[in-house]
Amino acid sequence: MATMTPKERVQKLLRREPVDTMPVFSGMGMVTVQAIEKMGIPFASVHGSAENLAKSASYSADIFGFDSVIVPYDMCTIPEAMGRGCSTYADAEGILYPTVPTKWENVDAVDINPDWATKARMPVVEDALKMLVSEGKYAVGGWVLGPFTLGGQVIELDLLLKGIKKEADKVAAFMEKMTKVVINVAKRYQDLGVDYMTIREMGSGTDLLSPRMWKQLIQPYLQQIFAELKSPKILHICGGTDLIVGLMNECGADALSFDQKNNLVETRKKIGNDMLLLGNFDPYGTLCQKEASEVPAIIEGCINDGVDAVWPGCDIWPDVKPENVKAWVRTVREAGKKPTPAVGRI
Amino acid sequence: MVSEERRAEILKNLSEGVVEYQEDQVKEYSNLALEEGLDAYDAIMNGLAAGMEIVGDLYDRQEYFVPEILMCADALYAGLDILKPHLKIDTGSGMKGQVVIGTVQGDVHDIGKNLIKMMFDVGGFTVHDLGRDVPLEKFAEEQLRTDSEIVALSAMMTTTMMGMKKVIAMIKEKNPDVAIMLGGAPVTKDVANLFGADGYAESAGNAVQEAIKMIGQLRKLKETGA
Repeated sequence: MATMTPKERVQKLLRREPVDTMPVFSGMGMVTVQAIEKMGIPFASVHGSAENLAKSASYSADIFGFDSVIVPYDMCTIPEAMGRGCSTYADAEGILYPTVPTKWENVDAVDINPDWATKARMPVVEDALKMLVSEGKYAVGGWVLGPFTLGGQVIELDLLLKGIKKEADKVAAFMEKMTKVVINVAKRYQDLGVDYMTIREMGSGTDLLSPRMWKQLIQPYLQQIFAELKSPKILHICGGTDLIVGLMNECGADALSFDQKNNLVETRKKIGNDMLLLGNFDPYGTLCQKEASEVPAIIEGCINDGVDAVWPGCDIWPDVKPENVKAWVRTVREAGKKPTPAVGRI
Repeated sequence: MVSEERRAEILKNLSEGVVEYQEDQVKEYSNLALEEGLDAYDAIMNGLAAGMEIVGDLYDRQEYFVPEILMCADALYAGLDILKPHLKIDTGSGMKGQVVIGTVQGDVHDIGKNLIKMMFDVGGFTVHDLGRDVPLEKFAEEQLRTDSEIVALSAMMTTTMMGMKKVIAMIKEKNPDVAIMLGGAPVTKDVANLFGADGYAESAGNAVQEAIKMIGQLRKLKETGA
């Protein structure tokens, strides 16, 4: 049997062409403490240097045998460039991801720095992506938050949620602004040669929004984004998604990714076998809490439920148990030799 | 003294105002309640909180989602701001506890935290709200400073949840009797147990369900005179 490179394996799977075995990859962060320790730097130092970002991603893939590398790891790069700053927690113990320290008071106050796309850490992320693309060893994933989730980083989420009912026009104008930003960044990353682009509309699950509101507030903007982007392009949503899988499927993505709350068996029935489905194990529970001996059943469960590639439901928590990650990778390689609903095998 | 019929009408309008998120209606009937001599605690628990219980049912039936709940909470607070200063301290109304609440360092999401805070406000607790992105040691310091019985911690992301474990250890080491509540999307029963917490709610919606259940229990306690 022919053996593919990690890059080929991911590229072919996302084109729904036959692969040798299921790739081990994700559209969310996959950095591990084992890689950070190898570099001998604190976690807080990773985010501000292109070299550190690229190295930590590559080392994580080297150590565990992932097929892809993903940067950045935090959700503040764009809000920071827009002018909202960034808390890095340089002195905090352990792993703490950067956050946005302040938000605009309301949608009227939103005043985006005109040169935002080249400000703050935007060039750092782009340089890291360039390094990883030119290295060529792994498939390179780019990601951008969806407009609603990005919006929640720069104004209070409750203003958006209540505004849908009280100030629908203002909220729509704000969402248009965020949508343009998302398209701009995603296109820049695609122009750098990333192998796939994930739009993470993380905070829009039905834990927060009704399906009706999702159709009104989320879907039109995601449709705009996916219409502008090249393939392969993936839509990921965390939390409750069972009630909106049909709406997600109308957004124009090539693949849909879900977290562990999704009933994949039902989703596959609703969506059919012509769509790539990715998911959906609980990354913290599976890789940090469970015993390694429990991991294969979880991974096999995802495959048996009908995913085309096993993805963690979110970023993996960097402080993984190495034996659990090895069990994840090993199980995907073995159980992933069989064809999946949307992708055959060579 | 207000008649039973008028009392029922005022309470109904307070409850409906919360359910329909009509802040002006809630303000109007809160003021009327006070003008006409209705007990403030009665108006809060059997008007505002009763409305919030209906909101909880609507959430359970997936008729309401978080945006509606937030607007109902705004309406509830509109009434609470008017009624709370008139609570009679010596009537045994409400709980007399204190709670320290906040989202842990690294987390700037606070919708769930604010909904739980609402429950404590309605229940008559003194709430020490530390806000969000709170340094871990601050929770322990504030608990000691205020001698609060409850500390409620929220984290919306797995990436910040781990901080909760440290806070719990810090607080329990100094005062093992403090009840610790955890909230947030990544928090499961297993995580709460593992971290040594006393209770948990896994999402903003779940938080409000828990909050509403607790309000319901408070109302029942009051009704039975317990």
